[in-house]
Amino acid sequence: MNIAELQAYGYFALTAILVVVLYGYIYHLYSKREDANGHDYEEYSNIALKDDITDAPVSAISDDKEK
Amino acid sequence: MENRPLEYDYTVAKMFMLTTILLGIVGMLIGVILAFQLAFPEVNTILGSGLAEYTNFSRLRPLHTDAVIFGFTLSGIFATWYYVGQRVLKVSMAESGFLMFIGKLHFWLYLVGVVAVVVTLFMGITTSKEYAEFEWPIDIAIVVVWVLFGISLFGLIGIRREKSLYISVWYYIATFLGIAMLYLFNNMEIPTMLATAPDGSAVGGSWMHSVSMYAGTNDALVQWWYGHNAVAFGFTVPIVAMIYYFLPKESGQAIYSYKLSLLSFWGLMFVYLWAGGHHLLFSTVPDWMQTMGSIFSVILILPSWGSAINMLLTMKGEWQQVAASPLIKFMVLGSTFYMFSTLEGPIQAIKSVNAIAHFTDWIVGHVHDGVLGWVGFMIMAALYHMAPRVFKKEIYSKSLMATQFWIQTLGVVLYFTSMWIAGITQGMMWRAHDEFGNLAYSFIDTVTVLHPYYTIRGVGGLLYLVGFLMFAYNIYKTMTSGRKVEESELQNASPMGA
Amino acid sequence: MFHWLEKHPFFFAVGVFLVISFAGLIEIVPNFAQASRPVIGTAPYSTLELAGRHVYIKNSCNACHSQLVRPFKSETDRYGHYSLSGEYAYDRPFLWGSKRTGPDLMRVGNYRTTDWHENHMKAPADVVPGSIMPAYTWMFTNLADINTAYAEQLTVAQFFSTPYNKPVPMKDGSTKVVAMGNNVTEANAMALEEAKLIAADMKDQDVKDAVANGQIPEIVALIAYMNSLK
Repeated sequence: MNIAELQAYGYFALTAILVVVLYGYIYHLYSKREDANGHDYEEYSNIALKDDITDAPVSAISDDKEK
Repeated sequence: MENRPLEYDYTVAKMFMLTTILLGIVGMLIGVILAFQLAFPEVNTILGSGLAEYTNFSRLRPLHTDAVIFGFTLSGIFATWYYVGQRVLKVSMAESGFLMFIGKLHFWLYLVGVVAVVVTLFMGITTSKEYAEFEWPIDIAIVVVWVLFGISLFGLIGIRREKSLYISVWYYIATFLGIAMLYLFNNMEIPTMLATAPDGSAVGGSWMHSVSMYAGTNDALVQWWYGHNAVAFGFTVPIVAMIYYFLPKESGQAIYSYKLSLLSFWGLMFVYLWAGGHHLLFSTVPDWMQTMGSIFSVILILPSWGSAINMLLTMKGEWQQVAASPLIKFMVLGSTFYMFSTLEGPIQAIKSVNAIAHFTDWIVGHVHDGVLGWVGFMIMAALYHMAPRVFKKEIYSKSLMATQFWIQTLGVVLYFTSMWIAGITQGMMWRAHDEFGNLAYSFIDTVTVLHPYYTIRGVGGLLYLVGFLMFAYNIYKTMTSGRKVEESELQNASPMGA
Repeated sequence: MFHWLEKHPFFFAVGVFLVISFAGLIEIVPNFAQASRPVIGTAPYSTLELAGRHVYIKNSCNACHSQLVRPFKSETDRYGHYSLSGEYAYDRPFLWGSKRTGPDLMRVGNYRTTDWHENHMKAPADVVPGSIMPAYTWMFTNLADINTAYAEQLTVAQFFSTPYNKPVPMKDGSTKVVAMGNNVTEANAMALEEAKLIAADMKDQDVKDAVANGQIPEIVALIAYMNSLK
């Protein structure tokens, strides 16, 4: 097996993996409205809109620590 | 002023805002000089023939590209990071003395690097590789600056209150990693000062000189993998980071689809890196790479448009804001130019089109509708949005901003239309044969014909520079004589004076 | 899994890095061994030619001139045979350029002479009416940096086995040896011998005098490099 052949197989395998991962991601994003923490993905837009230092974070680090 | 327990600290952001404006003026001024040198060669000796070595086109050209890329754009990226980063992570730099120190060190070392680059490029000390002209000592300095940026980036992320990383932070992380990887691999070089003669004696010679680790075709391959993706991670990824923050914030509209923004992020990351081969079509690199470069360039339209359309749809139902606010005009036209140049690029990457377009001014036109229309507009909009918030002052003049918008838009349109015509004209003339199969034109015929287009381009560039000076003046006046504003006025739309 | 990644910056960064690096890994790295073999007839640069190449780079000639002939009839008619990968085996860095404001220079040594370059570099528009190229008058007074060129020769010979002082096969079946000095004094003397041959074809009295006095102006080195491009 020469270099070009290895390149071709490597290219094909990685592309296939990435296609699977990307479609898996699309499925993950659109199948459920909520993520593991119970947040709708679209809520994360608020990170930019409510970004004053006095605003409450969408998902605070401190929530974890209290658990 | 309300009594607030903690404030965001914009000290470092302010410093980088200053260099953004300063180096923007320098880069664009040199650009305008270059444009007129092509139209009127006498401009090459504008400071007399004694200084011609330092004012001629070839010496200034790398200074122009590097001042705009590593001066204006990179400063803009840093300025917005030190602003956006704190806000979307909900943590102030005032909370960490260490990060504050790193931030300031980052700025001052960056400034030292800029001075070193300007001096060496004027002296003609260059490796000749486009956008990587710096010799090895400066390369090392740049790596240090970059590492400091990385510490700032990950340090701030490390002490964040907001657990989820906002999409802009993703793009900033990608910028950091992408540039780091590209820069390191493209600048692999061996300093020649290490050489000793076969008889053991010292050689002397320039201590700054180095020789590339790669030769010929390989060197070209690495260089254009770098060159193309430096555009990706310098002109696309971080600018997308900016628009994902500043457009929603300024308009008060949530991103049209946050999911789409996540998806186009991974799409862009995967596809962009493959497309570098389109700079080397019909060259001596292997054919399959050239074809790959073409194909992936076309695929690249999808993730690029994913982001751009997402931004335009964010304005859905709120288009009156585009009419009302010149600041939003900049961002909306910016994303339109982004769509436009990410469509134009893939068209130029198609082999048969590239056969005409390569080596001509059409490519120059393409770069500039991206950089003037998208990068420039977005960075100026970001700074306009930041100014009232970091200085706690109202933007000095809305009407000045609106005038600037139209002057610069006209400048960009003059620029790319003239370069389209120039590029295609020259490309067609190079390949024209007469009825006997001989070349129809000598090379100089294809140069003199471009004079009117070069002149129009120079005027377009000049208009853009004038607009940029208006921007600098507006920011300066905001800083010095704008009306003081309260925190409550800064929620969404930026306050502007008449 | 995806959501976990979004909240763990380190692993997120690793993920991004994997995605952006694999194009380079597959596309670029494996080809390194293949593309850098010289074709027959390609010899390394002499000390003077290399110093001229440094002048070319110092003045960013590559900003306006390409060194890459594409395989089209219009280009082979204008510039000569299309470029082959192996012809660039000793080019560090490559100088293909990205813009042809002026013509390609890949094979300029085939159709331009020392005399032509001398006049052209002094006053381009006098030689080519309508030319927008600036004059490069300072090259007639600035001196070429032979020491650095020699240091580069030593470096490439040591690290990349560039064949100096070794026979290199030529197209007509003969071999050619590109000599490199044993020390910097010898290298300068060899460069000067080469420079004298160039200066003999030149008209500028100051340049002739300088070479006679053992100095090598940049223009002489540059012309040596231009003449070597074939």
